[in-house]
Amino acid sequence: MAQPSCNTIFSQQQQRTFIQMRTNLKVVDNSGAKRVMCIQALKGRKGARLGDTIIASVKEAQPKGKVKKGEVVYGVVVRAAMQRGRCDGSEIKFDDNAVVLVNKQGEPIGTRVFGPVPHELRKKKHVKILTLAEHIA
Amino acid sequence: MVLKTELCRFSGAKIYPGKGIRFVRSDSQVFLFANSKCKRYFHNRLRPAKLTWTAMYRKQHKKDIHAEAVKKRRRTTRKPYSRSIVGATLEVIQKKRTEKAEVRDAAREAALREIKERIKKTKDEKKAKKAELMAKSQKTQTKGSVPKAPKGPKLGGGGGKR
Repeated sequence: MAQPSCNTIFSQQQQRTFIQMRTNLKVVDNSGAKRVMCIQALKGRKGARLGDTIIASVKEAQPKGKVKKGEVVYGVVVRAAMQRGRCDGSEIKFDDNAVVLVNKQGEPIGTRVFGPVPHELRKKKHVKILTLAEHIA
Repeated sequence: MVLKTELCRFSGAKIYPGKGIRFVRSDSQVFLFANSKCKRYFHNRLRPAKLTWTAMYRKQHKKDIHAEAVKKRRRTTRKPYSRSIVGATLEVIQKKRTEKAEVRDAAREAALREIKERIKKTKDEKKAKKAELMAKSQKTQTKGSVPKAPKGPKLGGGGGKR
């Protein structure tokens, strides 16, 4: 696991912000895509946060997958480096920005989800992603 | 208390509800920090065992452990509880406690003997009754009554058991 070295201390202390246009996100399901770039955050003037849906363009994909490079897809943000407040007052933040590709109805395209996933998806009615997740944080 | 306080992964402090930051690493490990001080130190890769104010440091350098150990030892010695209960008053309990072993054995034997005698008595009575019945049946010479008599008590016994 890559831990930040001395000269990246500043980057760790920076205030993390929203997921907006041109943000690169990691894809954590087995739909075929690897990296995806956000082109629009649905809902939110400043950008998308944890649990929001975005429209993204596939930048990097596996050769045999359900999605190809250059496709425009919808995605649900499942991990965001920007902290999100919970209803009990605490905050939660993840290590990276990650997304799960969905179709227009909100159902995931892939069949597996890797890595931890937050509770917030339950409120946003993304129950299917929660059932596929291996760890709910 | 209704609220549940969690412990800070870095400093060991209690985190009350509404406070603290939860950091989920990519390997699904969850870290709870009491405040941004702990979070900052964690991200800057400082070790809690080297910072004097953290619980880890105190444990490692064995601070405040002697007081805890002494307290634990004191609690283990207990006096025999002497109070009267509903079933037996204080004097009865004390008498029973101070009874010697021989006295208790003698009492037990006496009780057993009594029970044995009682059982013997009932058995003898039953035998006598049976003998009477047999004698009666022989006099009247009816085959029906003989099988009936042993059956009678049995049926009653079967119903009673249930």
